[in-house]
Amino acid sequence: MSELRLVVCMKVVPKPEEVRVDRMTWRLDRARARAEMNPPDMNALEMALALKDIHAGRVTILSMGPPSFEPYLRLGLAMGADHVCLLSDAMFGGADTLATTYTLAAGIRKLGGADLIFCGEESSDGATGQVPPGLAEWLDLPQITLATQVSLDAAAGTLRGRREIFGGHEVLEMPIPAVVSVKAACNEPRFMDYRRKPWAFETGQVTVWDREDLNAEDSRIGVAGSPTVVSGLDEAAVRERRREFLHGTPDEIARALLERLDRGA
Amino acid sequence: MNAPPARVMDDELWDRFVEITGGAAAPCYQCGVCTATCPWGLVRQEPFSVRALIREAQLGLAGTGDSLWLCTACAQCEATCPRQVPVAAIMRALRSLSWEQRETLKGLPSVLWSVYWNNNPWSQPPSQRSGWAQGLDLPAYDPELHEILLYIGCTASYDRRAQRIARSLVKVLRAARVSFGILGDDEPCCGEAVLSLGHRDYFHELSQNTAGILHERGVHDFVTISPHAYDVFENHYPQIDGSFHPMHYTEYLSELITTERLHLPIQVDQRVTFHDPCLLGRRNGLYDAPRQVLSSITGVTLVEMEHHGADALCCGGGGGRMWMETPAGERFADLRVREAAATAAATIATACSFCIACLEDSLRSQKMQGVEVMDVVEIVARALGSDRR
Amino acid sequence: MASSIYTADEERKTVWVYLEQTDGRLEGVAVELLGRARLLADQAGWPLTGLVCGNQVGHLTEQAFMYGADDVWVADHPLLADFTVDAYAHVAFSALMHGKPSVFLAGATPNGRDLAARLAVRLRTGLNADCTDLRFDARRGILISEVTGFGGGVLALLEMPDHRPQMATVRAGVFPTEEPDPKRIGRVVKVPVDLPAETIRTKVIERVRGQRVDLTQVTALVCGGRGMNGDFSSLEHLARLLGGKVGATRPAVDEGLVGRERQVGQTGVVCRPKVAFVCGISGAFHFVVGIQNAGAVVAINSDPDAPIFEFSDYCVVGDVSSIVPALIEAIESRREAARV
Repeated sequence: MSELRLVVCMKVVPKPEEVRVDRMTWRLDRARARAEMNPPDMNALEMALALKDIHAGRVTILSMGPPSFEPYLRLGLAMGADHVCLLSDAMFGGADTLATTYTLAAGIRKLGGADLIFCGEESSDGATGQVPPGLAEWLDLPQITLATQVSLDAAAGTLRGRREIFGGHEVLEMPIPAVVSVKAACNEPRFMDYRRKPWAFETGQVTVWDREDLNAEDSRIGVAGSPTVVSGLDEAAVRERRREFLHGTPDEIARALLERLDRGA
Repeated sequence: MNAPPARVMDDELWDRFVEITGGAAAPCYQCGVCTATCPWGLVRQEPFSVRALIREAQLGLAGTGDSLWLCTACAQCEATCPRQVPVAAIMRALRSLSWEQRETLKGLPSVLWSVYWNNNPWSQPPSQRSGWAQGLDLPAYDPELHEILLYIGCTASYDRRAQRIARSLVKVLRAARVSFGILGDDEPCCGEAVLSLGHRDYFHELSQNTAGILHERGVHDFVTISPHAYDVFENHYPQIDGSFHPMHYTEYLSELITTERLHLPIQVDQRVTFHDPCLLGRRNGLYDAPRQVLSSITGVTLVEMEHHGADALCCGGGGGRMWMETPAGERFADLRVREAAATAAATIATACSFCIACLEDSLRSQKMQGVEVMDVVEIVARALGSDRR
Repeated sequence: MASSIYTADEERKTVWVYLEQTDGRLEGVAVELLGRARLLADQAGWPLTGLVCGNQVGHLTEQAFMYGADDVWVADHPLLADFTVDAYAHVAFSALMHGKPSVFLAGATPNGRDLAARLAVRLRTGLNADCTDLRFDARRGILISEVTGFGGGVLALLEMPDHRPQMATVRAGVFPTEEPDPKRIGRVVKVPVDLPAETIRTKVIERVRGQRVDLTQVTALVCGGRGMNGDFSSLEHLARLLGGKVGATRPAVDEGLVGRERQVGQTGVVCRPKVAFVCGISGAFHFVVGIQNAGAVVAINSDPDAPIFEFSDYCVVGDVSSIVPALIEAIESRREAARV
C-alpha cells in the first residue's frame, strides 16, 4: 500500500466561558474571547499522529475558517502533521452543519481523497456531533463515531475501532476509506515538538482554497446552504437556587435537611 | 546469575546531554552520598538511585524510565554532594531529553498544553485569573505609583486554599501602607511548572515572553507569593532589566517589620513550628526571614522540628510532582507532619502553597487532630487584629 | 439556496418520531420524545407517527400507541437485528421518502445521533441537535428548537423555514416520561424493506453491553466526586435508602470508582431527579449542567467557597464522612419510628 493519507478536520473555537451574547444586536460576541483549538480535535489529531507513528503516512489538517485560524493550525504541524489545508472564503461564513460538511467534503475531494478522516466528536461551540457522520454521508463512506481506539490493517485495507456505548463497548470493522469521530479526552495530545516548531511556523506548508478552488456550488455553502435559521439568542438563565446554608452538628444538619426536603416534596 | 542485558551507548544522546547540561555531570565520582540523603530512601525499600541516574547520563545511556520523574528538586543531595554536582539541573536536562523522545509520564503533556492555552498549569480559565480579588479593589500596577508589583502566580490565583493566602497578604500590605499593584488577568505565568517538568525549549520561549511583559510594564521591585515563582525569576530568568528585583514575600515582610512600617499589635498565642520550603531555604538560603517574621509576633512560641533549616525534609511537592500521583505510603509529607506533631506545636507554619497542600493532605489522610497548617502571612494577619480567612 | 430532497410544498402534515429500540426494547428517550411529540402534534392538529426499525420488533407498536403514537411504521428485517448506520439509514431514508413528514424527531443517543446526522445530509435538510426544548408554531407549521452552545452558556432558538423534514434530536432526560394510556390504539404500517446485504459496510466484531444503568430516569440521585476520597460506599447506602442511584463526576469515573454510564454532566448524563445530593464535588459548570433540572439540590463540601453552593438549595459545609452517615442514620431512624 502506498503512503497512508490521513486527514484531520480541525476547528478553532472561542473559549466557551468567554463568549457573550450582545444584548443590543442579539448576536454572539466572540470578539473578545480567547481562541483555542477545539479540544476534541486535538484528540483526533493525536489519534492520527499515533497511526502515522506506526504506518508510514502523511497527515493533513483540514479546516474551514478565516485566515486567523492559520497560526493555530500550524501548531498541528509542530505536533507532527505534514500539511495544513485551510478552506477560506467570505461566503463560507454562517454555515450550519449541512453547509460545513458539504464544504469540508469538497476540500477532501480536492485533496484527492483520504484513507482515513478524523474529526473530534463535537466542537465546544456548536456541540452537535453532526459533522463526522455528515461528512461521511457526503463522501459516501462508512463511519465510526465516538471511537476511543482504532487500529489499521493496512494490507487488508480495514479499520477496527472501539467505541464505548451502552455502558459497555463495541468493536466495529469497516473498509477504508472511512470517517472516524474521536471521543473527547480519549487520549493525551502530544505536546509540540520544538525541533519541528520553527519549520511549522516558518516554512510549513499551508494551502488556502476558496470556493472557486473547490468548485463549490454557491447554493450549498455558507448561509445560502444552511437550512437552519437562528430566530432568538440569549445567555442561558441559570435557575435560581435557595442557597440556604445549614449549620450545627451532623445530626442536627441531617434532621434539618430531611425536614426541608419533606416540605419541598 | 544472569548477566544484565547489554546497554547501548547512544552517542547522539550523549552529545545532547553534554550540550544541555554544559558538562555539569562530569565532576561526579559516584560516591553515592546523594542516594543516601535522598528523601525517597525514607519512603521506599529501594531508594531512588540518584547516583545511578547520573552515571547513566555520564555514559549517554538512553531510557531512564519512570524514576527520572521522582526528583522533587529538594536539593538535599546537592547540599551534601562533595563535588557540588547540580543534581536537580541534571534531572531537568534528562527530562528535557525525555520530552524530545516523547517518553514522559501520562498527564504531563496536558500540563504544558494548559500553560500554553490557559496561561496556568491548572487548566483553569484564563479569564478568571483575578477572580480571587473580587471586591478587593486592587489597582493595576503602575511603576510610577507603586512601590512593588505583587505577583500573585497561578496557584494563588486559582487554588481556593492559596487564594486565602493572597487575600491575607493584601491585608497585611495594606496595613503596612505599602502601595502596590497587580497585573490582574494579564499576569503572565512564571513557567516554573514547565521548568521543573523539564521542557527546556518551551520554558525558554515562555520566560522570554514573560520577561518581555514584565519589562514592558516597568516592573522593578517584585514580590511573589510562591517560592517557586521567586526561585524561577531569581535564578532561571533572562535578565529583565537592571532594576528588576524579585523578592519572596517573607523577605519583604521581614524588611517591613525591621523598618517599622508593619506593626503587629495583637497577641497571638500559638506554638508554631516552621517548615522550610525547599525553594526558599535550601535552594535560596532564605531560612531567617520567615523566622524573624514569626518571632515578631507577640505570643508566638517558635519551636524547631528535628530536621529544620538546611536539613528540612521536603514536602514532596517540588520538581513538578504536584502534577504527578504519589501513592499513599510514599508521601514525604506524612513523615513531616509526624515530625511536627512531635514538637507539640499546634501550628505548622510554612510559606509555600505546595507545602501547604501536601502537609494538609497528610494531616487529613492520617486523621491527625490538633495540628493545623498555616501560611506565615495568615499568622501575621491575625496579629493585625481581625482574622478573616 | 439549495432545497431539500422534498420541500415544504411536498410535505405531509405529520410529526414523525424515530423510536430507537435496543434488543427489542424501546429506549427511554424514544418514549420521552413520543410524549413531547404528542403535545406538539396536538398543537399542530397533525397525526403522530412512530418509526421502528429492527428484527422481530412488532411487539413494540403497543407501547408506542400507549405513549401517544397514532400510527407506527415498522421496518422489520433480519439485517436490522444489529444497529448499523448503513442499514438503518438506508431503511429510514426510504420510509421518510414515502411518508414525507414535516417534522422528524430522534433521541440523541450515540446511534440516534449518527443516524439522524446521516439522514439529514441524505435528505439535504437541517438538523437541530441536542435540543433542550421543542415548541411548535401552529400558524406557520414550524418547529422551534431550543439549543444551548458554549458549554451551556448561550441559548439559541432555531427554525427551518423551507427545508423538510424539520429534524431535531433530543437527549434522554430532557423531557419527562408522560403517563401512558393503555387504552390507546393506533394503526400499524408495515414498511417494505429492500436492503441488499452489500449496503452494510460495517461489521460488528464485538458488542458488550454493560450494566445498563440509566440515570436519566432516576428520582433520587446521589453524586460523588473527588471529595469522597475514593470511598463511595456511604453514597451507595444513601442511594439505596432513597430508592435512587449513584452518579459521579468525570474524575471519579476516570479513577474507576464508578462506571462511565454514571458520569453526570455535560459530557455524561443530564438528569432530572426530584432530589440530587452532591457530595465532595466542587461544582464546575460542566457538572452542574447534569443536575440543573433537579427538583432540589443538596451540596455537601468541606470547602466553604466551593462553587457548587451557588447552584444548590441546601448547603452543608462539612466533611462528607460525617454528614452522609448522619443523614443515613436520620433516615433509618425515621423509618424505624414509622414502623413502630
